[in-house]
Amino acid sequence: MTQPKKQTLSIQFEQVSLIRNHTNVLNNLTFELDQQRIGIIGHNGSGKSSLVRLINGLLQPDSGKISVHGNSPSVGPQKMSAEVGFIFQNPDHQIIFPTVEEELSFGLINQGHSKQLAKEKALAILAEHQRSDWAPKAIHSLSDGQKQLVCILAVLVMEPKVLILDEPFSALDLITRYQLLNLLDSLPQQLVMISHELETLESFDRILWLESGRIFQDGTPAEVLPEYYASARKFRS
Amino acid sequence: MISLYMAHPSWLHKLPAGLKLLGLLLLSVLLYPVANLGLMGLMLLFTLILYASVGKPALRQLLILKPLAPLFLLIFLMQTWTVGWVSASLLVLRMLVLILLANLITLTTRMDDMMSAITPMFAPLKLFNIDPKRIAFAVTLLIRFVPVLMAVIQHLMEAWRARGGKRQVWKLAIPLTIQSIRLSDHVAEALAARGGISTITNPRVSTHEPR
Repeated sequence: MTQPKKQTLSIQFEQVSLIRNHTNVLNNLTFELDQQRIGIIGHNGSGKSSLVRLINGLLQPDSGKISVHGNSPSVGPQKMSAEVGFIFQNPDHQIIFPTVEEELSFGLINQGHSKQLAKEKALAILAEHQRSDWAPKAIHSLSDGQKQLVCILAVLVMEPKVLILDEPFSALDLITRYQLLNLLDSLPQQLVMISHELETLESFDRILWLESGRIFQDGTPAEVLPEYYASARKFRS
Repeated sequence: MISLYMAHPSWLHKLPAGLKLLGLLLLSVLLYPVANLGLMGLMLLFTLILYASVGKPALRQLLILKPLAPLFLLIFLMQTWTVGWVSASLLVLRMLVLILLANLITLTTRMDDMMSAITPMFAPLKLFNIDPKRIAFAVTLLIRFVPVLMAVIQHLMEAWRARGGKRQVWKLAIPLTIQSIRLSDHVAEALAARGGISTITNPRVSTHEPR
């Protein structure tokens, strides 16, 4: 029996299809994600990025129904931003403001907070992560890993319930990746992460393997990851 | 990400953005009738002292003049030919002063403050049902992304030369356009994903094509 509480804390796709440029990017997907840590894998062009963009309304499905913790992403990404935080692959594509404090305040002001309160909250989250000295810093003076941390904090400060990460570590060195993973591990949010680093996903609760817009495999990392690895390994002579 | 803003704090950072912009506006009007070469030269000196007072990183920013130098030379030659060297010198000096001061304001003003300062200027747009905040945001984004686009050009040039490309830089125009459009798509997505700008009421779906 499904408990009502569980019902609202899940991401549900019901026969969802997405067509772009006359090709089916996603084909009739039905699943329910109620685990805390969900990894999405698949070869380039399998539809991973499109799938996660449906969750916060950046893309709208051509057919089917989506529910994210009881909300429908059809209201659009602006309204969904209170519920779903989105971390993009390249920090340079999502950092809009020149200073850390402005970057962190931006989402809060959009949520209707006053400038003053936004600033206080921004400073508070920096202090919480021992980065108080970053507030006045110019973002272009930070390293890639530090920039990605700013992106994560800029989303966390908005207190979303789901965090989506689209290959967040692909440009980072191993140490930085581990440090950011420690941070992600400590978060109470539900996490949906696309990654090509299989090691990162080993501790996750569930893995979806996408192939040509369909779910090819769905299970625990122990079930799915070795097969994914083997399928790719065949191409190495 | 590169940005024109200089975090290094200075007294100029503390002045309100509106005051700085108003000062520049006033000065550009006042400089117009000045016909005394010495006075204009003094203004340029004053500008350079202003840069020095903000600190070393600001002085380093004077390098922005390097790519502009050929343009200034061309203007000077043309003007000397048509109206004489005194008027030509006055014109070039006036342009130098104003460009340098405008650059100094960009260097020492946060995007937030710039936006609040210029929003009232667009107030008349309300008559046409356009939100002044959105236009002010677009203007500040433009300033913000100038150095980003310069970096894109730099990367394209490197890629061009790495494969033996000659100096036909104009051929980069098309890839630059494509990259700029892609970049603006990314920025639009990032804006939307964090609630857009607060004045957007109806959600718009991104045109970005994920792989």
